[in-house]
Amino acid sequence: MRMFLATFLLALAANAALAHGPTPQKIQQSIAVAASPAAVWAVLGDFAGIGTWHPDVARGEGSGGNGEGATRTLTLRSGGTLQESLDEWKADGMTYSYRMGEPDLKALPVSSYSATVTVVPDGAGATVSWIGRFYRGDTGNEPPDALSDEAGRTAMNRYFADGLKGLKAKVEGKPAP
Amino acid sequence: MIRALAAAAILALGLGQGGRAEPAIYVASQEAGALTRLDGPAVVGLRLGSGPAGLAATADGTLFLTHPEAGRITVVVPGGGDRRALPFRGQPFGIAASADGRRLFVGDWQAGTVSRIDARTGSVEAAAPVGREPAGIVLDGEARVFVAERGGDSVSILDADTMALRARLPVGRAPFALALSPDGDRLYVGNVRSNDLTVIDARGLLVLATVPSGRSPYGVATSRDGGLILVTNQESGSVSVLGRDLVPRAQIPVGRYPEGVALAGDRAYVANWFSNDVSIIDLAGLREIERRPVPDGPRAVVAVPLRGRGEADR
Repeated sequence: MRMFLATFLLALAANAALAHGPTPQKIQQSIAVAASPAAVWAVLGDFAGIGTWHPDVARGEGSGGNGEGATRTLTLRSGGTLQESLDEWKADGMTYSYRMGEPDLKALPVSSYSATVTVVPDGAGATVSWIGRFYRGDTGNEPPDALSDEAGRTAMNRYFADGLKGLKAKVEGKPAP
Repeated sequence: MIRALAAAAILALGLGQGGRAEPAIYVASQEAGALTRLDGPAVVGLRLGSGPAGLAATADGTLFLTHPEAGRITVVVPGGGDRRALPFRGQPFGIAASADGRRLFVGDWQAGTVSRIDARTGSVEAAAPVGREPAGIVLDGEARVFVAERGGDSVSILDADTMALRARLPVGRAPFALALSPDGDRLYVGNVRSNDLTVIDARGLLVLATVPSGRSPYGVATSRDGGLILVTNQESGSVSVLGRDLVPRAQIPVGRYPEGVALAGDRAYVANWFSNDVSIIDLAGLREIERRPVPDGPRAVVAVPLRGRGEADR
């Protein structure tokens, strides 16, 4: 039986190695901030104001404020533009959800994403969670490396992590990293 | 050896047991590559590998799963304790099975086609071009195939015998999931980007109404009597419940990023893709009564009807 199992698992491993295709990918990042949740939300909650705290965003412009359907256009320092629209914005839950419009592979090597940011109380401070779901830049079965699941994960993780570090620095009143 | 072990695994799944009294609920987890039977005393699973995305079942309990990443369809057969793979040239995603289980209708996400396949041999009998990104597919009792064209903002209706296009109806933006009412008079279409539900007169092939849902509706199902329509709102983490009159009845919080939904008896089962669990909803109280962990990335859920009672849960 042990040998059966070993063979079975090997077969599965071989199978997994061949995996490619349109599988949605998860991104999940969080950071602790030494400030009250309300103080964090005062900075984070301004949908179009992301350029004031995200170090990768050179310029952010918005329309529609924080209403559902509001949009923001973010020009990244590395080049490329993100067009995003606001789906839900809840001050009482200190959370908002948004998704991308048309992809710009120069900005992020992904074909679509949606994401949610949330502030939750954490002891005397707050924790900010940023979760998202994306599809890689080329959803065909033979994507080039630059548009693979791995490339998408790397870029999205970096973008979320940089943003959270920048937000923390801004709220805590320290120089941006 | 592998075959013997697979047979053992399937028996453990409960597929080999005849004469069951309860509907069987199956969940496909794309990330984990797993098929899980949910409705037993414990969650038991079968490793299929390579991201199963689409899931269809016939009344005898045969399951069909698409693997877009691998260009393959897995058939899991009840009773005989067997499963087999059908090769598919392309990127199979949405899938529907004929009532007798002989024909499969499979969308190719990348090619923008729907193929009719012999479910025993896997050979392609016919193929039809459809709109971009064919997503949900359903078959009605009058040999018509409804296809959600996510990239075309439309639903196409094919003749299942000739695969000719009978009609194409514009719907909301990015239609993904489809559900047919139990008596086949209505088709419900979840539009992911316009955050609404299009209701189609399935006999007259006309759009009857468009009503708002929550954010990113990714799954739709109806109750057995057609009186309730459930819509999963992926981005809102909730399920909207509407009456047949399309009046909202409830908004039920569930796990994170809910997608597929299936109804059986007085329960609804919602696959929560991000939180890796299934929300079980009591349809009488319209509230979540349990959240059960499943392997990573559950997206599709199906209820295999009660055997021998002529019921047709969707």
